[in-house]
Amino acid sequence: MNLDYTAEDELFRAEAREWLDANVPREVRPPDGPGMRDFDLGWQRKQFEGGWAGVSWPVEYGGRGLSLTHQLIWYEEYAKAGGPNAELLFVGCNHAAPTIMARGSDEQKSYHLPRILSGEVAWCQGFSEPNNGSDLGGLKCRAEIVGDELVVNGSKIWTSSAHLADWQELLVRTDPAAPKHKGISWVICDMQTPGIELRPILIMTAPGHHHFNQVFYTDVRISLSNVVGEVNDGWKVAMSTLGFERGTAGMLENIRYGAVVERLVDMARQRLGTSALENDDIGQRLAQLRAEVTAVRAMTYRIASRAAIAPPGSEASLARAFFSQLQQRIRRIALDIIGPDSIELPDDDPWIRPYLRTYSNTIAAGTSEIQRNIIGERVLGLPR
Amino acid sequence: MNLLPTEEQQQIVDMVRGFLAGNAPLERLRPDKFGQIGNPDAALWPKMAELGILGLGVPEDGGGLGLSAVEETLTYIEFGRALVSIGVLGATLGAHLAARDAPDVAAAIMGGSTAVGLATPRGAVEHSDGRFSGEFHLIEADEAEFVLLLTSEAIALFRNEDFTDRSARLSMDSHMRLMRARLDDGKALGWSSVTEGVDHARANLLIAAYATGLAEAALAGAVDYAKVREQFGKPIGSFQAIKHKCADMAIAAEVASCQVSFASVILAKDSEESRFHALAARIVAVDAALKNGATGIQVHGAIGFTAEVEAHLFVKRAHLIDFIGGDQRVQKAQFIGADAVM
Ligand SMILES: Cc1cc2nc3c(=O)[nH]c(=O)nc-3n(C[C@H](O)[C@H](O)[C@H](O)COP(=O)(O)OP(=O)(O)OC[C@H]3O[C@@H](n4cnc5c(N)ncnc54)[C@H](O)[C@@H]3O)c2cc1C
Repeated sequence: MNLDYTAEDELFRAEAREWLDANVPREVRPPDGPGMRDFDLGWQRKQFEGGWAGVSWPVEYGGRGLSLTHQLIWYEEYAKAGGPNAELLFVGCNHAAPTIMARGSDEQKSYHLPRILSGEVAWCQGFSEPNNGSDLGGLKCRAEIVGDELVVNGSKIWTSSAHLADWQELLVRTDPAAPKHKGISWVICDMQTPGIELRPILIMTAPGHHHFNQVFYTDVRISLSNVVGEVNDGWKVAMSTLGFERGTAGMLENIRYGAVVERLVDMARQRLGTSALENDDIGQRLAQLRAEVTAVRAMTYRIASRAAIAPPGSEASLARAFFSQLQQRIRRIALDIIGPDSIELPDDDPWIRPYLRTYSNTIAAGTSEIQRNIIGERVLGLPR
Repeated sequence: MNLLPTEEQQQIVDMVRGFLAGNAPLERLRPDKFGQIGNPDAALWPKMAELGILGLGVPEDGGGLGLSAVEETLTYIEFGRALVSIGVLGATLGAHLAARDAPDVAAAIMGGSTAVGLATPRGAVEHSDGRFSGEFHLIEADEAEFVLLLTSEAIALFRNEDFTDRSARLSMDSHMRLMRARLDDGKALGWSSVTEGVDHARANLLIAAYATGLAEAALAGAVDYAKVREQFGKPIGSFQAIKHKCADMAIAAEVASCQVSFASVILAKDSEESRFHALAARIVAVDAALKNGATGIQVHGAIGFTAEVEAHLFVKRAHLIDFIGGDQRVQKAQFIGADAVM
């Protein structure tokens, strides 16, 4: 075990820090709408032009081809520099791109990967359906093969940023007769295709906050050449992406939360006084959270150490399940520190909206109950 | 950067694990037919000394093996898993302190010819320049020549006879011998304060590692049982109420193990961040040991409430080590006052 960095690593860190200090956007990120799209894509373009967009992406796809350690260093510096949480980029960079790299055709790679990396396009994820959330494998959105096209009919729901995205990674049922995991295909869908309609869905964080959508497909025609992997092999293709999401893709958020806790410690010291804090219930809980978020960084390092040997497996669910609930407890304590004024929702609010947002952390991308099933069955070997 | 054990480190773990499997199986802690219990681990010290385990992390010029806090930490996880008498902590920490100021004492401890008990405060401790007064619990000190005192402010080594007014008590963790005693202006053979060096941080780190072992062993016992115990025609581990409890235990153990490893690497570098990371490790690991110990009993049902299986031992040992040098409340008060390490 070691936490040593080579001289070359340190040089990389210094360069990253310098570039971030000069380039991290100082203006506030719009929470939604075309302004948010412009902000996130603009930031991605800037990172791309600076050579920082795909630190661990292979060189052949426009990345720097560096190790996961470099990626980790980049995330650490990114968090320290207060880099924005550009969520709109997540599906493209952390889902679609790795999937296309692993399973896509040469044509799909050469068309999509550069556009994702350079911040030209935004992607969304069309997996969940009204009747299939946790039971994703039972999804019903139908795609019939007609000539060299798929004809899609059905609906997806909870599609984050579908209203701002150019492309969608779409899971459809191509063989309703096959066993449920064997009749699914993973398809690249152009969001401008005729027959796609959106119903905005408002979320609980603040009035009028439009985050995700229900998406309806009526005779939507997609070329068969947009299937990634084989037709009817989409479940396996999708699982490779989810494994990625549970493993390394969460690193930046893990690291960022250390700074959130330190802001809370500062706020608590100011409001309660340093010595009073030590024996106050808030101080005790904050100490626990501070220890836990410190441990999350250690978990991130261990995941990176393991990932250097083999792709993340089910054990990545340990960190994810822990972190999603830890985020909730961290955001919750902000209200206790703020006190009575926490029932206000000011425009420039740094605490209440993020607190409300954490209710989704144990639901999105596999609920914490599903994560525990995975840990129980695949990590501990308990019977189904 | 790599937070996984190297091949050599894994060999040390395997060696210690093998030694403990042969010499300290958990069944040794089951009561005999009279319900008599006593600590059978005193016999381990000379054998562990022979393998170099008691001076593993002490520098070579101090008579130890000269390995780092990383290796030391890995062995302590194994000690926790096997519920090795916590007296071992007195030996390790005592050897570190004595190696600097009293080499003959260090040699005796590392040679396994003399045991080192532990002392932990029952209330306020007065301390100035290596002289300590106060009321204490002595743990595993009955046959010990020396006693290692840990408070939240300092770590110090004494002769056992420095402690007076001794009266034996039965411990909640009944394998551990316990007594009350006091020190009146007792002069330490060697000591250091929480703010200098890494001695104090090492104490917290090794307690954290031991607690991680307790959390892992409680988890392993619960999972093994959940796979074989059947009710309603199925293994109880197939019920989510049990499966999710086991998953939570696995999460807690993983959190502890990661932070303990991280802190051990920091401490091995003598870094100023040692204190912060060792405290964080202690807080998450003792938490994991207490929680997993309790959950492990519940997963077993009534058999978990008996002295016939090991489930109850982990939570009791967790309570005991929680108080060594100050419980979670004390540790958290210190930790929230510490400067941030980013
Ligand atoms: C903010 C947010 C953004 C999202 N973005 C997207 C997106 O962009 N694209 C997309 O495709 N999806 C998205 N999702 C959907 C998300 O993946 C699903 O919500 C999730 O998979 C759970 O499905 P569900 O909501 O239908 O809940 P359900 O599956 O109906 O679950 C309801 C409750 O039952 C529990 N439950 C269900 N099955 C089991 C079981 N076997 N064992 C124990 N408990 C069980 C669940 O844990 C949960 O508590 C998003 C969700 C949120 C909250």
